[in-house]
Amino acid sequence: MNKQIILIGLNHRTAGVEVREKFALTDVENFEQGLMAHCPVQECLALSTCNRVEIVAVAQKVPVPVAMDAVVQYWAGVCNGSPEQLMDNIYQYSELDAVRHIFTVASSLDSMVMGEPQILGQLKDAYRAAVDNGTAKTIVNRLLHKSFSVAKRIRTETAIASSAVSISYAAVELARKIFGDLKPTRAMLVGAGEMAELAAMHLLRNGVKEIIIANRTLSRAKTLAANLGGEPIQIETMPDRLHEVDIVISSTGSPVAVIKSKDVKAVLRKRKNKPMFFIDIAVPRDIDPDVNTLDNVYLYDIDDLKEVVDENMAQRQEEASKARAVVDLETETFGNWLNSLNIQPTIVDLVGNSEEVAMRELGKTLKKIGPVDDKTHNALERLVLSIAHKSLHDPICFLKRRTQEEGSADRFIDLARRMFNLDDESVPENAHLDRKSASCAPEDIEQYIEISKKEQ
Amino acid sequence: MGLFESLHIVIIALYTLGTVLFLTSIFTENERLKRISIWLAVLGFTFNTLDLGLTLSRDPAALSGGNFYFNIIGWCALALYFFLWWRLRLEYLAITALPFALLLFVASLALGGIRVVWPPRLTALFFGLHIGSLVLTLGALMMAFGAGLAFLYYNRKLKTKEGLSGMGNAVPSLDKFDTVNRWAVLIGFPLYTLGLLSTFSWYIIAPFKPFAWDIMKIGSLAVWFLYAFLFHQRVVLGWRGRKPAILAIWVFAGMCISLIHHTITFRAAP
Repeated sequence: MNKQIILIGLNHRTAGVEVREKFALTDVENFEQGLMAHCPVQECLALSTCNRVEIVAVAQKVPVPVAMDAVVQYWAGVCNGSPEQLMDNIYQYSELDAVRHIFTVASSLDSMVMGEPQILGQLKDAYRAAVDNGTAKTIVNRLLHKSFSVAKRIRTETAIASSAVSISYAAVELARKIFGDLKPTRAMLVGAGEMAELAAMHLLRNGVKEIIIANRTLSRAKTLAANLGGEPIQIETMPDRLHEVDIVISSTGSPVAVIKSKDVKAVLRKRKNKPMFFIDIAVPRDIDPDVNTLDNVYLYDIDDLKEVVDENMAQRQEEASKARAVVDLETETFGNWLNSLNIQPTIVDLVGNSEEVAMRELGKTLKKIGPVDDKTHNALERLVLSIAHKSLHDPICFLKRRTQEEGSADRFIDLARRMFNLDDESVPENAHLDRKSASCAPEDIEQYIEISKKEQ
Repeated sequence: MGLFESLHIVIIALYTLGTVLFLTSIFTENERLKRISIWLAVLGFTFNTLDLGLTLSRDPAALSGGNFYFNIIGWCALALYFFLWWRLRLEYLAITALPFALLLFVASLALGGIRVVWPPRLTALFFGLHIGSLVLTLGALMMAFGAGLAFLYYNRKLKTKEGLSGMGNAVPSLDKFDTVNRWAVLIGFPLYTLGLLSTFSWYIIAPFKPFAWDIMKIGSLAVWFLYAFLFHQRVVLGWRGRKPAILAIWVFAGMCISLIHHTITFRAAP
């Protein structure tokens, strides 16, 4: 493989927060430009988040250790740190290990909370910036596109991100299991604690129609209501309004239960037994545990929610092995593509493809005209293969010339592979939606050729 | 092998395959398998419809055969299932609809010899009101039975907080299961009442058919009272969730017993 992808990075596992802070990249665009100017790399992309820094680059005709060393030196210099300290806290990968790592990162298998979707968004932003900056070219382009599709495949084919792993999101998920669609539901916040606020925010984001905020201090309720867009009320009026809501999140500092079982019983009668979901995240608890014994009432305290989260976390770990198998498979595929970026395999593929088409068409013709003797058969075969080869002379000559130019080989070989669909890739249904739709069925193409010839 | 025999084998194969694949998809949480199983059921249902149509067009006397009614109950259960799938996205209820459709289709082939005596007059009324309404009620209750069992199972999970990870995203919400129960009560009970009334009215209208209380009529009436209780509690008192789910299961069980009793009685009848 003559295209050496290298990856250097640090994350929450290899470096403490002080080191991460020190070597975080505050100006990624300049960093990428600097890397291209000062290091022997022909493409690069940098990602910097609170939990990780990842630098992907393609080495420029130098041995991998030389390119890696140069990147580390430059990185340490930009952050005013010592290269030795940086070396102690980073990981370095090259070739397919680097590819595997970036796929793992994109799929959130390497995240602090496995399966969380933010990293994919951050990687997409970093990629967009690198494209704008002109530092992401053929290989980084392909690598990142592939990593996005791997991440998507993993999210679709495994349950890595299907269950909640935060208390507030677990509450939303449970509410969905009870009510289904949250759009017609209303919620009440009893007490204005930080965690309750977070849960309420999640509920609102997931469709809850309205929220009532009941607090001992009305001014605090008003502030929160202004933030969340709810209705503030005094906590004393809470029992009278309880029947209006489907979800109750309680987090007061009260030493005794604020909501009692007999009160909920009366509320249920008023609501004609419409289900209610109580989330008690206060310690000591705000809601009488007996509430859970009532029909159509579901009560979850902080320990219950933690248990749900732990269970989901364990499930994600199980799914991770499936996801890693996908990553391995896709890494191998990417390796094949990387190998094909030499001109020889591309010529072999081009000719092979063309010969296959020629033989297929010959087969069809022979079927139509009926049996022919061996001599005619061989002559026809030679004819179609000759056409197949000769029609490729110019494209192959063009590719050969272009690949001798500095820096354009990968681009043209990649273009040729895509143009002749040598990697047998299918175009996603939602691709190029902004362009004029065109069908690529053989009969449509034939028609297109006919029309084009006539119009000329 | 004639057209009908081949058609029956295809229908049984499609229903069986659909049932097995759907159950497997539930345990393995395989969405693709689930979709395949439902489309197999759609195909089976299409052939079943074709079979019913051909049977009737070839020989209208098939209406006198009891096995025809078993076939139509299974067909109706699947039709209602597809309706719920369309309206509530409740593909999950295939867990009940598919095995029942298979069972009833096989039963329709196995249980020969049952004769349904058609009244000499007011035939359309008898068929339209009595059979039609009861078949629809049974189909609705079949769905309510499945939804009721699912509700009780998942309600228990949510209450006890045990094994919640097994309640994946593909499982519908409790509210949806309860909606099926509500529909089965709101639509099923008036239909069942109509079905019973039409029978009793027919006794009054038809000459030479004296009305007499027997175990069959008392059984049907007992089921009606249970259903009426469920209807009252649900509509008037606003019952929801666990209690109506349990009651719907009982009503369905009562209807099944009544149906089996009807079958035995018809078979024993000279």
